[in-house]
Amino acid sequence: MDSRQEWAAPEPARAIGFTGNWREYLPIAITNALLIIVTLGIYRFWAAARQRRYLWSHTELIDDRLEWTGTGKEMFIGFLIVVAILLPFFLFIQFLFPAMVARGNEAAAGVIMAVFYIGLIYLGGLARFRALRYRLSRTRWHGIRGGSNDPGWKYGGEYLGRTLLTALTMFIIFPWAATRLWNGRWNAMSFGPLQFRADLTADGLKRRWAAVYLVPFAALLVAAVIGAVVGVIAMAGENKLSPSVFMIIGAIFVLFYLAVPLMTLHWFAKFYRKAATGTTLGDLSFSFDATTWGWLKLFLGNIALAVVTLGFGLTYWGYRNWSFIVRHLHVHGSVDLSQLTQSTARAPGEAEGFADMFDVGAI
Amino acid sequence: MFEAKLYDGITAHRHDAHADMQADAILLRQDSGWTDQVAKSLLHRLDGDGSTIRLGRTDIDGWRLILPPEARVAVSALLGGEERYGRWIDRIGLLPALAVFGVLAAGVLLVGHFAPQWVAPHVPEQWERNVGDAIVGDFGDNRCRNPAGQRALEAMAERLEPGSTRGPNRLRLAALDINMFNAAALPGGHIVVFKTAITETEDPDALAGVLAHEIAHVRRRHVTQALIRELGIGALIRLFAGDIGANAQQIVALNYTRSNEAEADSDAIVMLRRAGISPKPTAALFRKLGEHEADGSSYNAEFLQSHPLSSNRARKFDTAFDANTRYTRALTQSQADDLFNICWKR
Repeated sequence: MDSRQEWAAPEPARAIGFTGNWREYLPIAITNALLIIVTLGIYRFWAAARQRRYLWSHTELIDDRLEWTGTGKEMFIGFLIVVAILLPFFLFIQFLFPAMVARGNEAAAGVIMAVFYIGLIYLGGLARFRALRYRLSRTRWHGIRGGSNDPGWKYGGEYLGRTLLTALTMFIIFPWAATRLWNGRWNAMSFGPLQFRADLTADGLKRRWAAVYLVPFAALLVAAVIGAVVGVIAMAGENKLSPSVFMIIGAIFVLFYLAVPLMTLHWFAKFYRKAATGTTLGDLSFSFDATTWGWLKLFLGNIALAVVTLGFGLTYWGYRNWSFIVRHLHVHGSVDLSQLTQSTARAPGEAEGFADMFDVGAI
Repeated sequence: MFEAKLYDGITAHRHDAHADMQADAILLRQDSGWTDQVAKSLLHRLDGDGSTIRLGRTDIDGWRLILPPEARVAVSALLGGEERYGRWIDRIGLLPALAVFGVLAAGVLLVGHFAPQWVAPHVPEQWERNVGDAIVGDFGDNRCRNPAGQRALEAMAERLEPGSTRGPNRLRLAALDINMFNAAALPGGHIVVFKTAITETEDPDALAGVLAHEIAHVRRRHVTQALIRELGIGALIRLFAGDIGANAQQIVALNYTRSNEAEADSDAIVMLRRAGISPKPTAALFRKLGEHEADGSSYNAEFLQSHPLSSNRARKFDTAFDANTRYTRALTQSQADDLFNICWKR
């Protein structure tokens, strides 16, 4: 038998690449959409599995492609389990809550509602963790898979605590919370016998977060100055200026509502670049080079595609997002194939029902 | 014979091997002399990327045999085709599956649409009362508790349907101290009239028309239908949309179908005729609300939301007016005054 294979990624050649193309994916997109419609949505779990089988199998890592082994059936079962768990929440909201309000017990109803919402935040954290664990456990490379032995209960608690703390501080500590949570998730994950190591700090992420707060103030300041100038002109000339004044105020509002999301995106772009650099797997290290502009083009492209195709383009969002990530991800270092043995981590059975329900991404 | 790549599932090492297709197995050989015969029953096809063919083994986790595209025919002969849409759909083919699922989906939607109508008449009223009482309670502080006003409200219902406020299936009438122009039928024979509807309706006969409409919703089991609809489809929608309202609007959020509304109007007209109350004031009220609808004023927005108005409705009540009938007032003057003051605490 041949042995002693050690592969070192030749720089600057890409160690990871996407080999799919949209025309090849089109039959999958069309049939998935049709089957989802005629099954009233139930097929979407099988559709997701087909989509991932295509995307994974067209992602080359070093000398072989990835393989997705998750099934639609297990994702469907995961969904049913989550429905069963969330049913009490739903019944409360549907019946008990209005009943309590109708009886004048608004305060008690509110308290119970708050407790339930806190429970939902916890479940949201658990969902993120488990989705990542599930995806790693269903991803194979050279026959080897990933996973985690951690069920994520503690991570859910950490997520809840940091989220509440972040909310209490008006989101000022968000960069610290987000980086710690990234570490918390990834340090629990492994691939084969190799443990992921994430050592991300908020260093270099604070200035952009401050900008999220400062830009709206700047916009308000500009609005005030323009307003004053217009006011002076109006008084001097006694012109009918009201339409133009409204237009300017409207423009400021648009700016205000655009500025905050844009600055947040600007922050996340850097966050993901830093997060990739701060995470390693054995001797492999990563980097990610998507800029704010790149992300913006991705999102605007997704929206434009959906609009132009009257909604059909939605079926390409997963494809576009995945290929975007793979195109911007770089893998450095080497893998010692003889050390990369089969994973002993427990393979979870419940798929990603929670993440699906709360609509959170895996990474 | 095909040149294959082999992962053993134990390490990530890639091995070269020669693969020979046999009648019910694949024979693997290496130049070193190693051989392995893998029975067909242990093998299963995995996703291909178009250029290679991947096989896995059910007894060894992570074992992979990667064959070149030339092996496609031989592999298909041995193991059958690759899974495409899912096992069930592959078995019957995509187009038949689309047709079958399409018919099933249409059936589900139709049953979902008509089931409330079919089931509602068979729901025991006792059950509905339990649900209604559980949801509604006694309205707490929101309820107007002026006894003279309450008596006047019940007297109006008695005129429209004699005996309606007595017995196990009695109507449970309540005025709510909420500034909203609306009235609603709730599960369990509860009918609520909001304060603004009482104080802004100048003619008590018009209020009688509105009340008759709500009584018809109760008696025709429209409330039960709406509740079933809400439990079924509404429940799913809310589960996914996470829509949570927290105000009084929520308890009047049961929606009736258009035909339910038309039926309630017809019944209301019959009730008014039997009671000898003129339908004209009701028509006038609807027309006035309709004008507000047209000019965009919103004090009656809630009423319009739950009772879609059209000039047809006003006309329906108008044409029910019979010039030869001697109509009487729905309430005496003192009863009307009591009702007007129902939400005033002494």
